[in-house]
Amino acid sequence: MRGFVATDNGAVAQLDDEERTVVARIVADVGLLLGGEPFGMTAPVDREQPRDDEDALFAALARITESVEDPDDPAVLALLPHASDDDRELAQEFRRLTEEDLRLHKTDRLRRMWEDLSQDGPDWLVPFDECLATASALTDIRLVLASRLGLDSDDDGELLRSELATAIEADDEPASRSEAERIWLGMLYESLGWLQQSLLDTLMEDDDDEL
Amino acid sequence: MSTQEELERDRAVVTLVDDVWVTIVWNDPVNLMSYVTYVFRTYFGFTKEVAAARMMEVHRDGRSVVSSGPREKMEVDVQAMHSYGLHATLQRSDA
Repeated sequence: MRGFVATDNGAVAQLDDEERTVVARIVADVGLLLGGEPFGMTAPVDREQPRDDEDALFAALARITESVEDPDDPAVLALLPHASDDDRELAQEFRRLTEEDLRLHKTDRLRRMWEDLSQDGPDWLVPFDECLATASALTDIRLVLASRLGLDSDDDGELLRSELATAIEADDEPASRSEAERIWLGMLYESLGWLQQSLLDTLMEDDDDEL
Repeated sequence: MSTQEELERDRAVVTLVDDVWVTIVWNDPVNLMSYVTYVFRTYFGFTKEVAAARMMEVHRDGRSVVSSGPREKMEVDVQAMHSYGLHATLQRSDA
């Protein structure tokens, strides 16, 4: 994986085939979580029979979308938060007025990102006028992963980072399947954060006081 | 213009000023500092310095008031923040 750099046509990152498949998959899954139509021809993961070759990998991702249709799912709430934490009436009214638009906006943005990722070749090109939307889509994906990883505070984020560092250093097989999944989702979360940072760096390269 | 009319006009102005709402952005462990700063600059048109200061408030104090005005305007701001993936709420400024 190579982070984003600015080119004449837009910001370009490089992902190998496996990385690209994984990122496109999570993009599509978050789209499903928002209640969107499946992207492209990819069928949703069959949770009963994960594909053999990428079994563990996609089993972990399948759990991302297992609570589709549940409005109380914390991951969905992270994408569509309450507009008030203590005024229930205000929060409900706001949701009634804005939720559908927000869902569509976020799903469209993810679909565009999925299409950019589905181009042939190792380059992931994001045209300049799509960079902020892609950065925002990356935030949405990371919000979902963070929710699944139980990251509620800045300290939790630090803890995850040291957990991952220990796992890499130990180089052992994880003790359990759930631990393996956690490490794997954690790595994906961190990688997407790193990609998002590199994308922002290209956006801010010539960022003086005029945006 | 009668005195009565003037009084009523004054009352209307007082009501308007009283009913000020604010948009608050809350800290989360996910969003990158550079992203939050960039969103504040892009959406609110803050200078680099102001955007960075508001972002640091969110990071350090857990929240920052990023805009104020009539409720309808704050609803637009909160929706925009949610679309960027930031957790924002609105409330009366004196609440």
